[in-house]
Amino acid sequence: MGNLRNAPYKIHVSDEALTEETDSMPKDAEIPVDRDKIKAMLKRKKGRMKMCLAACAGCTLCAESCFLFMGNEQDPGYMPAYKVLNSLGVLYRKGGKVSRAQLEEMRELVFKRCALCGRCYCPFGIDLPNMLSFARSILRSQGIYGMYPHSVGSPEAEALGEEDNVRPPSAE
Amino acid sequence: MIIAEIKHLEEVKQMLEGYGKVLNVGCGGCVAVCLAGGQKEVDTLNTQLTASLRTDGEATQIDGFTVERQCEVPFLAELDEMVEQYDALLSMACGAGIQFLAERYPHKPVFPGVNSVFVGVNKDVGWYEQRCKCCGECVLATTAGICPVTMCAKSLFNGPCGGPQDGHCEVDKDTPCAWIQICERLTAQGRLDNILEVHGPREWEGQTQSSLVLEQYKHRYAKDEGE
Repeated sequence: MGNLRNAPYKIHVSDEALTEETDSMPKDAEIPVDRDKIKAMLKRKKGRMKMCLAACAGCTLCAESCFLFMGNEQDPGYMPAYKVLNSLGVLYRKGGKVSRAQLEEMRELVFKRCALCGRCYCPFGIDLPNMLSFARSILRSQGIYGMYPHSVGSPEAEALGEEDNVRPPSAE
Repeated sequence: MIIAEIKHLEEVKQMLEGYGKVLNVGCGGCVAVCLAGGQKEVDTLNTQLTASLRTDGEATQIDGFTVERQCEVPFLAELDEMVEQYDALLSMACGAGIQFLAERYPHKPVFPGVNSVFVGVNKDVGWYEQRCKCCGECVLATTAGICPVTMCAKSLFNGPCGGPQDGHCEVDKDTPCAWIQICERLTAQGRLDNILEVHGPREWEGQTQSSLVLEQYKHRYAKDEGE
């Protein structure tokens, strides 16, 4: 885990994700993050997950095994290791002390940028799908989960407005 | 994807009668996309069930947990530690997921929270249409991508019956005749000759196929199949 920021590889762990919570904490009324629950979940798989996180050498070989990475002009943000390090990696690094805004940022990474098809490959044998699945479980425990464009309350649906809210992308 | 619909509240209540602690297990796969069994639906059903049971004077505790897909072992394993705390499980997955859950925890009663309806497409919000019957003998190559097994009320293989009127099915006047659509599309594509050859009777026993092993993995399971 200690190599998250300093390792000489190209996988970027966003500074925002690692910044200690300060003024960036949202102030408006919102559901509080149950940090004890997150800590308990992290602890349950601590040994295996921290070993996997530490084992990542940043070789980026997992990238080409991800069809979403390949299908999005090889955007590094879709790289499996990037998604893991910026979600589960951050959760472990911060010991579960994350804000809801930070968890919301992870929603994009683990639900939207990952189909959990299980095809990502790591030459070191790191179980990337398992880690992403675990990150999803933690987010789910805080009421954060994948929203589909036509789901009531999804950001896309709200952005479309009430009238267009009933039209999924497939019908456009 | 597999399309499902949430069971009626009263039916679910009847199934859960007499169980003190119930875990409602959602599925993040197909049923989440068709808004029947994802985490949001699990939360909603739990709220409704709890309120309704409380009104009836029942003190049943209903908790929820959603796994990524109930049709895959690694995701179900997430439940191993928590299942023991419950008297029964309610599954919001499709029929396959429900059975897989019941298979993993054979000592726990597992109940369905949804009805799996068909394999279909998302026409619009909450509007799904069947497109595939998983018959195991796909003929879409010669029928212009329109399935006669699914879209024709009689599942005919060699052109329309004598019933279509104004391009619509005699069984349902609002439904377009699949075979007329097939002919029109093939004509437009200049390959109407695709359906000139008579298609023999199909092997309907294929309907009962319950498992599929990909060619490249057959060697892996050859031993088990031979036994």
